[in-house]
Amino acid sequence: MAGKISNTPATYTPSPTSQDKKRPSIFTGSDWVRPDGRGLHQCRPAFLRTSAVNSASGSAYAEFGNAKVIVSVFGPRESKKAMMYSDIGRLNCNVSYTSFATPIRGQASDSKDLSSMLHKALEGAIILESFPKTTVDVFALVLESGGSDLPVVISCASLALADAGIMLYDMVASVSMSCLGKNLVIDPVSEEESYQDGGLMITCMPSRNEVTQMTVTGEWSTPKIHEAMQLCLDACSKLGKIMRSCLKETVSATQE
Amino acid sequence: MEYVSPEGLRLDGRRPTEMRQLRAEVGVVAKADGSASFEMGNTKVIAAVYGPREVQNKGQQMNDQALVRCEYSMANFSTGDRMRKPKGDRRSTEISLVIRQTMEACILTHLMPRSQIDIFVQVLQADGGTRSACINAATLALADAGIPMRDLVTSCSAGYLNSTPLLDLNYVEDSAGGPDVTVGILPKLDKVTLLQMDAKLPIDIFENVMQLAIEGCKAVANYIREILLENTKQLEFRRGV
Amino acid sequence: MVGLSLGEKNFIKGGIAQDIRTDGRKRLTYRPIFVETGVIPQASGSARVKMGATDVIASVKAELGKPNASHPDKGKVSIYVDCSPTAEPTFEGRGGEELSMELSTALQRCLLGGKSGAGAGIDLSSLSIVEGKVCWDIYIDGLVVSSDGNLLDALGAAIKAALSNTAVPKVQVAANASLDEQPEVDVSDEEFQQFDTTGVPVIITLTKVGRHYIVDATAEEESQMSSAVSISVNRQGRICGLTKRGGAGLDPSIILDMISVAKHVSEQLINKLDSEIAAAEACEEE
Repeated sequence: MAGKISNTPATYTPSPTSQDKKRPSIFTGSDWVRPDGRGLHQCRPAFLRTSAVNSASGSAYAEFGNAKVIVSVFGPRESKKAMMYSDIGRLNCNVSYTSFATPIRGQASDSKDLSSMLHKALEGAIILESFPKTTVDVFALVLESGGSDLPVVISCASLALADAGIMLYDMVASVSMSCLGKNLVIDPVSEEESYQDGGLMITCMPSRNEVTQMTVTGEWSTPKIHEAMQLCLDACSKLGKIMRSCLKETVSATQE
Repeated sequence: MEYVSPEGLRLDGRRPTEMRQLRAEVGVVAKADGSASFEMGNTKVIAAVYGPREVQNKGQQMNDQALVRCEYSMANFSTGDRMRKPKGDRRSTEISLVIRQTMEACILTHLMPRSQIDIFVQVLQADGGTRSACINAATLALADAGIPMRDLVTSCSAGYLNSTPLLDLNYVEDSAGGPDVTVGILPKLDKVTLLQMDAKLPIDIFENVMQLAIEGCKAVANYIREILLENTKQLEFRRGV
Repeated sequence: MVGLSLGEKNFIKGGIAQDIRTDGRKRLTYRPIFVETGVIPQASGSARVKMGATDVIASVKAELGKPNASHPDKGKVSIYVDCSPTAEPTFEGRGGEELSMELSTALQRCLLGGKSGAGAGIDLSSLSIVEGKVCWDIYIDGLVVSSDGNLLDALGAAIKAALSNTAVPKVQVAANASLDEQPEVDVSDEEFQQFDTTGVPVIITLTKVGRHYIVDATAEEESQMSSAVSISVNRQGRICGLTKRGGAGLDPSIILDMISVAKHVSEQLINKLDSEIAAAEACEEE
């Protein structure tokens, strides 16, 4: 026992803010300010760039607040011989975290789960018929996790696909929302995500007004879902416009 | 530890040469070509047979006989302590191989060249003797699938504890570390197709123990025949023959 | 997986459009549900659910464990699903892993509620024994024995039945434990506590084939789907989770319509399941 006690004050361990798990009571109040000072229905500023990786056929870098993601797209390349013939293309997605992505090393979410979510979100938007017998690889790397990682990865991946010249029905934009007490909070940061009562993520193709993927966790009443979906879809269409303008910028820059 | 009481009763109240309660059901997996569940006391397994069908991996195709494949898997909840083992650990691979070889010996593989038969066994509850239960379930499932066989292979185990030969060991007796003799026979042909034993045993005692296991196999064979007959009668009835 | 000819495909699609499916059901009718509880005596609770040719087993095991540092007053629940190759030869080896994982995450999303624990089917605070020291770890294992579509709904139902079959032993905590020592606990052999399963939601998967959607799709019908939405609804008619499968996009208004349909269907399903579970428990006691 004595050994234990003498050990404790000797070292200093930084405790990140997320360690403080006591949920602040202000979360339930209406006049509460979000950790980064945004309004409840205000998204983080998005910074998007294409062609971040030279060796890839297409790539994109996205920065939403603290969340920094890089996605590279390789292919279409010949499918592995072991795969059976298929008259539509295959999509292979992989999401990974850098070891320094989270405040505590190696505490990232399950990347296998995220990979399959990314696959499901994208497959509906890609015209797979346009490259039969071949495979497109989408590799996403989360440089820094800052909340709503999956939506950022999805949006960034669709930008990278467009950059690679893969035929898409439309850009895919994704936005998530947290339910904290009575409040609906769009584009939550990690801290908000860890307290959330419920979460909703929508991935949609804005100009086709189609939802390619949607997940809900926690308990929701129907009117709340209506409201949250509407807010998310609005945000998606705005994000879609930003993504489009980012692509146009790159093209005009190369032409000059 | 005392595995046989002075009155001649085992831990679960059985006599040394008494088998556990057998229960079998045919056709438990609707989509499979043949399937069966088999219970020996608390040990409960399900077997499903797919085939004969086209060979999936052309490299394995044989022009003179059918390819028999087997996979043994244990459910996470099958043992007392919950386990989460990756698929295909050494033990499962070994048992898969044992079951495959035993079943291959009785299937008339030369009648179905260039085809493949898959046997999948799933352990729902393990209480000793899963190997035997799996083989018995697989036999029933193969018969249900209508696959031609030389005979119904049946299997049973026997052990030797407290200087008494014991039939059909349960988990506690199995983990006592004594010899465990698993025998598989073709009862009609009176041939042994599977014989496994770990630990050492004098030859004359081994013969006794093996004889006991063979008796067990024959009892299982009788039971399996009954079940199949019952099943056939039901099918006949449904067809209105 | 399912090889269908063009004629068969049209037959299935045409039937759904005319509200009479290949097995004679209407679009929103379930197959008969058969529930059996206590199938795995070694587990704390277990159930087997059959819907047509779909056959799944769920088992619940309670073990003593240490609570997470982030939630000292809560127990832990984890859900794993395993797809047995008996159900489908393609599940052999690692072939079933992808589906297993998809089902596991969908179930976790639908049954375990939000990060703060709100809306969870199982009240995690009821699993705490000594705050920060000892709690119950609940392991829920699902096994797909035979698959003919609609696995998620069947697994959800099986877990609900298994939980209501679960008896967790009563625990006595030794009073003299000091603050930083691991307290000694005495697990009772005789006294058991039942779970409160009224809050456990049911999962309803609406499979969209053509312009219509159906519940409880068979494997053949699932092969013709464009997309499917799984919605978990509790007794109060609140949504506890939602997942979408399938590549094709959906109009947002269709999703909202699906939610309202799911809510409507859930009432019947919950009542049906409850009566089946009660019947199964009564049958087991005899």
